[in-house]
Amino acid sequence: MSVRMTIERVIVSEATRDHAVTKGGTLEIAIENKTFATYQGQLSILRDVFLSIDPGEFVCIVGGSGCGKTTLLRILAGLETDYEGAVHLDGNRITGPDLNRGVVFQEHRLLPWLTVHDNVAFGLARRAPVERASKVQHYLDLVGLKNFEHDYPHQLSGGMSQRVAIARALAGCPEVLLLDEPFASLDALTRIRMQEELLRVWQSERTTVVLVTHDIEEAVYLADRVVVISSRPGTIKNIVSVDSSRPRERTDHEFSRIRKAVLDEFFAPGLLE
Amino acid sequence: MSTAEQNQQLPWKTSARLGGESHGSRTLRRQPRVSDHLLGWTIPLGILFAWEVLARKGVLPQNWLPAPTVIARTIYEMAVAGDLWRHVGITIARVALGFLIGGLAGTLLGALTGYIPVARKLLDPLLQSLRSVPSIAWVPLFLLWLGIQESSKIALISLGAFFPVYLNLSVAMRHVDPKLLEVGKLYRLSSFQMVRRLILPAVLPEYIVGLRSGLGLAWMFVVAAELLGASSGIGFLMVDGQMTGRAAIILGSVLLFAICGKATDWVMNATGTRLLGHRAR
Repeated sequence: MSVRMTIERVIVSEATRDHAVTKGGTLEIAIENKTFATYQGQLSILRDVFLSIDPGEFVCIVGGSGCGKTTLLRILAGLETDYEGAVHLDGNRITGPDLNRGVVFQEHRLLPWLTVHDNVAFGLARRAPVERASKVQHYLDLVGLKNFEHDYPHQLSGGMSQRVAIARALAGCPEVLLLDEPFASLDALTRIRMQEELLRVWQSERTTVVLVTHDIEEAVYLADRVVVISSRPGTIKNIVSVDSSRPRERTDHEFSRIRKAVLDEFFAPGLLE
Repeated sequence: MSTAEQNQQLPWKTSARLGGESHGSRTLRRQPRVSDHLLGWTIPLGILFAWEVLARKGVLPQNWLPAPTVIARTIYEMAVAGDLWRHVGITIARVALGFLIGGLAGTLLGALTGYIPVARKLLDPLLQSLRSVPSIAWVPLFLLWLGIQESSKIALISLGAFFPVYLNLSVAMRHVDPKLLEVGKLYRLSSFQMVRRLILPAVLPEYIVGLRSGLGLAWMFVVAAELLGASSGIGFLMVDGQMTGRAAIILGSVLLFAICGKATDWVMNATGTRLLGHRAR
């Protein structure tokens, strides 16, 4: 049975609207079925995931482990192509990875033999050296690692490595930034700082952002819309709009209310009272 | 000086950068002190000294175990006469040529089997079973095929150098972190770029280890090759010393092998360290 979700419109800021005209970054997701072969036969991981994401929008996908949220992100990245349905970016079907989508994984996946500078420049091999250098500079600046370009990944902390990974993903000037639990392995304080950094980067770059997480607070803090995915098969259970202005206060009433609303999607209301 | 440099120089200081983010897996190693090195020298030097004294007092028979100074003088005299350089030179040339051929073959086949699964399935079982034959066992066959001249020696040395290089490279290429390969996929690298920009740098540490053990085995096999019949080389000097009952020449040759082997390994290691740069080890 195909359940098409009503797509809630989000109040898009004026800047985002302007940006939308110039840059693009509209994602049309229509995944009917994605299965994996297991010993018990074909296991359905994602079913009937229909979602439209606006240019410049920040969407968080929340779900428990094994719900297929990472698979969904890998489909958007073009790393998974074997599924029923289609995903379009600005009207073009996604058939594989491309520089118009930047990806950040849970692990930083920096190349240990390259300096911070060369890691960020990794995808820019075909650009002119001058352009490459200025791009690397710009994005290292943006993530606050200006003076670390000659360092090697093993000399960096977890948070710094993840910043470099974000700079690398942005260096190709993607229309969409895809993040797969990017801060899950960081300590709580670093995580909060990184969330603020990410918001800052997003506001300055105006890319569409899709972030997968199991951290509800993180999702409510960051997202324009929180997409709740249920497990086995993963399907969209609800979409919660977060209209409060940024920076958001994690302790205020509105924040708690939305946070509880998302939480209630996973646990029956009253269960946690 | 940047914070990073300070951190490198003061590894015990985990000074908080960027407001106390926890540090990643930085290895903190204590710099070896000068006294550590001196400590390592005491026993060898003590043995040398005792040996010298005992040999001079006549406790050790002169024709069995001549004094270290006598050995040194023997080498020195050969060096002055010019004979030594010819022998050392030809041995080094044999090792170099054998190592080059074996290393090259090991690199090619290692890369092929490491990168292409079909090639591995075709070639690896055969090469692995050949590896289990003790390499010296090939000597009669090499002598029969290639004669007693240079080519049989070079073949034996190549064979020795081949396996470590092949094995290390093949295994390392197969085990490159698939998560890093996925990064290459994201940036749409071609297979050639994948090899050049991701796989080769990723396997470089293991490959250098393979080259080092290959070089070590090349030295081992040059000794075997020269002992089995040569008219020149350090191994020949040993046989000559044995025939003429001159222990000083035999011991001097052992020393020469040690020096040459250590020197080439040092060069190889230094090159490797340079190539690996500052990456974490």
